[in-house]
Amino acid sequence: MDQAEMGCSGAEAVLNLRPNSSVAIAYHPHFGSYDDLMLLELDEKLLPDVLQQRVTLRGQPDEDAVLCTQSKTYAIKFVGTSNSSFLIPPSDQSALCENSQVSDDKVYGQVGQQRLAPVIKVAPGNMELIEISPRLDKLKLLLSENPYGSEEVLEVEDLYEGKNKTGLYRWDDLVERVQASNDELRAGLLALSAVEIEGYWRIVEEKYMDMILRMLLHNSVLNDWSLDALDEAEVVRVLASDGFPHKLALHCLDVYGSKMDEDVCANYIWKLNGRRVCVHFAREILKAGKRKMENFMVEWLKQIPDGMQASFDMLEGEVLTEKLGVETWVRAFSVSSLPSTPAERFSILFRERSKWEWKDLHPYIRDLKVPGLSSEALLLKYTRRTQPSLDAEPVFSAR
Amino acid sequence: MQIQVRCSCGAESCPEWAIVELQGVVEVQPSFQDRLQNLVIGELCRPSLQENYTFTVGYHELTGSKVTLKKPLLVLKKVKYMDVDQGSDNSSAEVELDVIGVIRHKILFKTRPRALISKPQPALKERANAAGSSLSN
Repeated sequence: MDQAEMGCSGAEAVLNLRPNSSVAIAYHPHFGSYDDLMLLELDEKLLPDVLQQRVTLRGQPDEDAVLCTQSKTYAIKFVGTSNSSFLIPPSDQSALCENSQVSDDKVYGQVGQQRLAPVIKVAPGNMELIEISPRLDKLKLLLSENPYGSEEVLEVEDLYEGKNKTGLYRWDDLVERVQASNDELRAGLLALSAVEIEGYWRIVEEKYMDMILRMLLHNSVLNDWSLDALDEAEVVRVLASDGFPHKLALHCLDVYGSKMDEDVCANYIWKLNGRRVCVHFAREILKAGKRKMENFMVEWLKQIPDGMQASFDMLEGEVLTEKLGVETWVRAFSVSSLPSTPAERFSILFRERSKWEWKDLHPYIRDLKVPGLSSEALLLKYTRRTQPSLDAEPVFSAR
Repeated sequence: MQIQVRCSCGAESCPEWAIVELQGVVEVQPSFQDRLQNLVIGELCRPSLQENYTFTVGYHELTGSKVTLKKPLLVLKKVKYMDVDQGSDNSSAEVELDVIGVIRHKILFKTRPRALISKPQPALKERANAAGSSLSN
């Protein structure tokens, strides 16, 4: 056996053990249960994010913690082991013990000159990360507590200075409460058409959006604006004179249109999106309840702006049709109002209708994304597929 | 709430820890139960150039090898500190997780222990969890 080198102890002695050498394994002078010490299994590619401090754990005390990088969310699972995993720190681990005044004599005492690797703890297992979809349903819940509406425009000062700021959330408040990475949270806000007003993220009441949109369309007819080339500055100015705040006018353009490249004079130009505008009017009509198909189509075509084309397939994922007797009826059923977790989503879909054909089902599930599960696997997991005959359409029902 | 994961060691120089892992449990004689600290568990030997190892606990000898972990393990320490809020009377307990080490290799023993009967009775002995173990007291 090799002669020991004085001063070499700890993990290095084990990991760099030379051929024909030995090292004594002993309980550390401060061996203990150390419940505050834990092991986390991590993919090599996540290591830089962790070591550069771009990773946080998020959640409320009553929720299971998740780990978030800049763009992804991971569930944390503890995996136990029946093996004895002796944890050996490197030699000068002063971060570990309150009292790091461990003299070499005390460490080497029992085995004289031999190298020694002390065991600080026997690890009961380690934590694992499993990539998951961000838990964004809570975001919608929070922002729906206090949606922005027309009453608020008049009471601005009262609202923000007052003590009663319930249901108002800043970005930092949302990060504390929603279990999602920053990128996923931003995407969630975008999907909800949320807008940041005075530092608070708000969902705007549909009624109010309807008012702004109608005013915008009314003015475009009055001022002969092209809906494909709206001048941002002019739109905002005119809407302001009608009592709509600057931020909300811009938000209206953003929700119902897209920003084009700047024009020759460096003005921002917007083009309204036909589908988004038509869907809006369809939803407004069906707010009162279901309608007979013919009535609905007549009303709908009457309301959409001149020059825009409406087709019924624009409404997939927004409405459902059903046959009552000889009549076909249309009613509102928007995918945006459904939960984002697969189990709950399918539960509500099958409560709405016990059997679905693929072409009807697809628009209501295509936004479901579960890491590690393909859409086929999702269907397999949550639905039962039957095919009445070879040439009939397959039908999906609850498992 | 958010718990920040810190790495005070710095990205390049995260200290490497080691794990010696065996199947089963190391038993301590009752008289030593309360003072484990400093007690020697056994001797880890590397007899040749190869990454094969023996671990002798009491009169049992285990054979094993150095294994590179498929995914590294991070050693995290939970740190609690009191954050005194300037504006109110409350002070909240803040929690952080500090990365204090990384584990990339372990010495793994997964064979049945071999009894070295000629060795004298030690303070520690290995209790195999394999069926039909014939350890005498």
